[in-house]
Amino acid sequence: MREKLDAILQTGEEKIRSSETLAKLQDVKSLLLGKQGDLADILKEIPKLDGSMRAEIGRAANEIKGRFTELIETRREEINLKASEISPDFDLTVPGIMPLGGALHPITQMCYDLNDTFRSMGFEIFEESDVTSELYAFDNLNFPPDHPARESMDTYWIAGHDKGLGGERLCLRPHLTGASVRYLQTHKPPYRFVYPGRAYRSEATDARHERAFFQYEALIVDRDFTFSSGKVMIKSVLSKVFGRDVPVRMRVGFFPFVEPGFEIDMGCLVCGGKGCSVCKYVGWIEIMPGGTPHPNVLRAAGLDPMEYTGFYVNIGLDRLVMMRYGIDDVRLFRSADLRFLQQFK
Amino acid sequence: MKLSLSWIKDYIDLPGDLTLSKLAYDLTMSTVEVEGMVELRNSFEKMVVGFVKEILPHPNADKLIICMVDVGDGDLKEIVCGGSNVVQGMKVAVARPGAMIKWHGEGDLIELKKAKVRGVESYGMICASTEIGLEELFPLEDEDSIIDLSDFEAEVGKNLAAALGLDDVILEIDNKSLTNRPDLWGHYGIAREIAAIYDLPLKEVTPYLPHPSHSSNSKDDFKIVIDDSQRCPRYLGVDIEGLSVKPAPFWMQSRIWRVGMRPINAIVDVTNYVMLATGQPTHAFDSDLIKGHISICRAGDSEKLLLLNGKELNLSTEDLVIADEEEAVALAGVMGGAKDSILPETNKVILEIANFDALSVRRTAMRHEVRTESATRFEKGIDPERVDLAFAIAMQLFADLFPDMIVTGFHDNYPSPLVRKEIDVSLDWLEKRLGKRLSNERITGLLSRLGFDITFDADNMHITAPTWRSTGDVSIPDDIVEEVARIHGLENFEPKTIISEFEGPVNQPFIDIDRKIREYLAFRCGMTEIYTYPWVGDDYIKAILTSSDGMLELSAPPSPDERFVRNSLLPNLCKAVADNLRYFDEFSIFESAQVIFDKDFTAPYDSREKLPLQRRNVAGAFAGSQDDLTILFRKAKGVLESLSRFVHMEPLSFGNAEKPVWADDVVWLNIFEEDRGTVHLCQDKGTVHLSLRKIGNLALLSKKAALDCGIKNAAVMLFEIDIDSLKPLASRTNSFTHIPEYPMTDYDVSFLFDSEITWEKIYEAATAKMGPDSVLQSVSFVEEYTGRQIPEGKKSVTLRLVIGSLSKTLKSEEIENCANAIAKRLVKMLGAKPR
Repeated sequence: MREKLDAILQTGEEKIRSSETLAKLQDVKSLLLGKQGDLADILKEIPKLDGSMRAEIGRAANEIKGRFTELIETRREEINLKASEISPDFDLTVPGIMPLGGALHPITQMCYDLNDTFRSMGFEIFEESDVTSELYAFDNLNFPPDHPARESMDTYWIAGHDKGLGGERLCLRPHLTGASVRYLQTHKPPYRFVYPGRAYRSEATDARHERAFFQYEALIVDRDFTFSSGKVMIKSVLSKVFGRDVPVRMRVGFFPFVEPGFEIDMGCLVCGGKGCSVCKYVGWIEIMPGGTPHPNVLRAAGLDPMEYTGFYVNIGLDRLVMMRYGIDDVRLFRSADLRFLQQFK
Repeated sequence: MKLSLSWIKDYIDLPGDLTLSKLAYDLTMSTVEVEGMVELRNSFEKMVVGFVKEILPHPNADKLIICMVDVGDGDLKEIVCGGSNVVQGMKVAVARPGAMIKWHGEGDLIELKKAKVRGVESYGMICASTEIGLEELFPLEDEDSIIDLSDFEAEVGKNLAAALGLDDVILEIDNKSLTNRPDLWGHYGIAREIAAIYDLPLKEVTPYLPHPSHSSNSKDDFKIVIDDSQRCPRYLGVDIEGLSVKPAPFWMQSRIWRVGMRPINAIVDVTNYVMLATGQPTHAFDSDLIKGHISICRAGDSEKLLLLNGKELNLSTEDLVIADEEEAVALAGVMGGAKDSILPETNKVILEIANFDALSVRRTAMRHEVRTESATRFEKGIDPERVDLAFAIAMQLFADLFPDMIVTGFHDNYPSPLVRKEIDVSLDWLEKRLGKRLSNERITGLLSRLGFDITFDADNMHITAPTWRSTGDVSIPDDIVEEVARIHGLENFEPKTIISEFEGPVNQPFIDIDRKIREYLAFRCGMTEIYTYPWVGDDYIKAILTSSDGMLELSAPPSPDERFVRNSLLPNLCKAVADNLRYFDEFSIFESAQVIFDKDFTAPYDSREKLPLQRRNVAGAFAGSQDDLTILFRKAKGVLESLSRFVHMEPLSFGNAEKPVWADDVVWLNIFEEDRGTVHLCQDKGTVHLSLRKIGNLALLSKKAALDCGIKNAAVMLFEIDIDSLKPLASRTNSFTHIPEYPMTDYDVSFLFDSEITWEKIYEAATAKMGPDSVLQSVSFVEEYTGRQIPEGKKSVTLRLVIGSLSKTLKSEEIENCANAIAKRLVKMLGAKPR
């Protein structure tokens, strides 16, 4: 009996020492101390022994039990202290499991980036409908009655609603600028708002031209606001959106609804202004028209142009997004092609 | 528009230190966009004038010869040539190795190399005009003719561009940036603008003073009759004899060609040259073919006119024409007629230098679809005073080109003289708009450089615009802001920070809900956002909506079968599904956009308007395998069930009220919004019942609609809801519940049910006794299964029961008892069989 106990002690110590993981140690613990364990077998036999033997073996068995418990605890701590119990063959290069694969359209993303930026400067967001009238698309915006943009070759007029006075002639809005007057008419000055949306123009499509495109307009109307402040506004917004300092220049441009009017260029981010194929080797990319709202536009909104002035820009988002990612075909935006859209997660 | 720098220099001396790129930059910043600059000499590198000293036969070819050519570097070069007109002693254009040429006048430019031609090594090439892009200046005499430079004074060995006077720079101006500046459509106008930018003097154009020998005015009765002075404010006609149709001198042809027009003959070239120089179109009629005097009048109704280009027009009384005593001979300001055009035997002409109303010319040009250089310029609104400048230049050229010419008649009919625009501008106002005070001297300096006359009276500035800016371009004080700012230099205005008052936070829940929905669908639900067009293909209308009823129609659609404007996002969404199924088996997409209905016209902003009903919609599609329909359905339904919670809006519910036409007969649900505005009591049940408003649908695309869309072997779940009906919550409304202190047990049980037993019934039965004190905390759906081990007409449903108490730890018997009670109820009420 005594020998048996010695053997149990010896192999038990050995087994405990050689346990490399907590799981194995747990197995060893059950084997040694569990109800079906080696020591338990001995203990079951103790009542059959003589008195003195019984006491001695009982004491010895309890000592071993205590010893094992102690050793297991020590061993457990040793294992816990080890850096890892995982096989060194574990492959760290297997790819991770992707989270859900949805994506916002790259134009929506740009629109939201701009919304966030303008909102942080206290701008409201305004939306109006895709179908508008000649009154708002042209008349209010100081387009002369014979302006070519009014022709059906440029604008999508609605059949059956293409005759009559300006308010009754309907079209898919050829630009967003008409929305500005709607906002001005329904709010009180000073105004500070942006209006993103889709616009439509009847033209042949190719890699650089689309019939449907996404515009983003911003308008400030206040008593004292000059084009020099407008330039500061554009520069801060673009620098925020692109995450770096973006050079901006304003040059003379003509649009019926602004006076003075400007073409606003941003420094080409592809070449840093040195000249490349993206900027047609001039270092600048034309991204938006802008200017001071024409007095007739302010009048259409019921404001006195001698008192109020402001600054307006119309950003072509398709183009800005093309530049952001180096996209070379504008038609991809409305292709609904997931091979394209899923690149912008 | 193309401009020749050397031509501009006829009218202005540019400073020697002004670089081309600086000129282009300054013009772009202050006036018009310079899109490009082409140095012509670059196209003629390694091309020189050669002299054919001797001609030898080619040993191996009858059609080829060997020319011994002096190219100015001492020794004679052997050049193999096939030119039909080469003779000894001829001056020719020689392309040396390295020159870029167009082989046989076709294809792309290639680099010329020394090469053996039929066994004889040839140094370079004697060029035909088509090989170096000069076919319009040196028309081919026959297929194999080469350029003959014998008449040119250029010395042998001189670079070809220099020898031909082609050492010029062509500025390419973006026409769009010129539309509001009729004064800039010619070299003189641009020169005048450059003079203003750099404060340089403009050279005077000498007025034409007829040489006595040139003038007879033998036709005393020569007159121009203007019937419509509104549309024709001025018409100057000159009757000239002693002309002939011959080529214009090379320098003139060359200038015309450099800026993109084709030289034709001396008479026509003078008219084009004058237009390119001044922007004032002119026209020459063969006076032998004009019967009686010229009048400017409306065309007769349905009068016919055969144009120069062979097109026959059916005129209307809206068209202004130039007519002789018999009929219309030209479309005023647009194009001349065929009848009186310059013919080879023409020797006398009536030269027209006239002014026509911009709108009239534009309407006529549009009506007859005739686009000409002349119409393009008149459309912009030319000032009638420019006639004088054009007249001076034209007559000088005729006199130079035809020393024997005689002016036999002259009439300058100018019934509607131009009135210069006058504008009053307050100096304080100007300072406010500019954001900067400029001195009176500075303002005067800037504006007078542009031709404005200014007088000051205290704070007021009285400005008179020059004639060339008085046709609509400049008319209000704001125009003066621009003129001052751009000539002062936009870059010379310091950036000004934006000052704003705090007016409270921006709070726009109805705007934000659209973004919240999109971000929920993309980021939480893994869907991809698409954009499509607002017009819908007829095929998809038929497939999804069955008819175009209630849709607006475009009067000039992108294509004949895309006429209708969408009143649902689903047709284009289904097209996108069909397209993407070519590359993917399983995906989900959505679009948020406006839909438009041909009804409920309102005037939300202006009583003069009638706008159709327009709503923001969002629609989504889940495409997947037809085998996993339940999963696909649950995915789609789950997206909508959780929508209101994640987007923070009033809840939605589902039910069957009206099947969408495109939906499968079984798998469809309407989506309702609980309309709290109209709460009413249902008497029978004595409970508060919320009236429901249908705001959308969720359904499986029917087999037929799918096939009509070209969708095979895939199931497509679709939804569409009206965003404008949704009610965003003012803030979050989730509430806190305590975390249970005692253990909760998940207990999964499976039962067999008859197939027609719905989950709703199972749930009702399972939770029938659930109350605040019961140990059953919740019942949820785990899975539904039909398949091999399940008998026909049955399905297996697994439920998860959460059992526990809020006040103690349950004993296992208590848990079992609860589960058993539910099982018993399911067996009793629904005939379930435990599995």
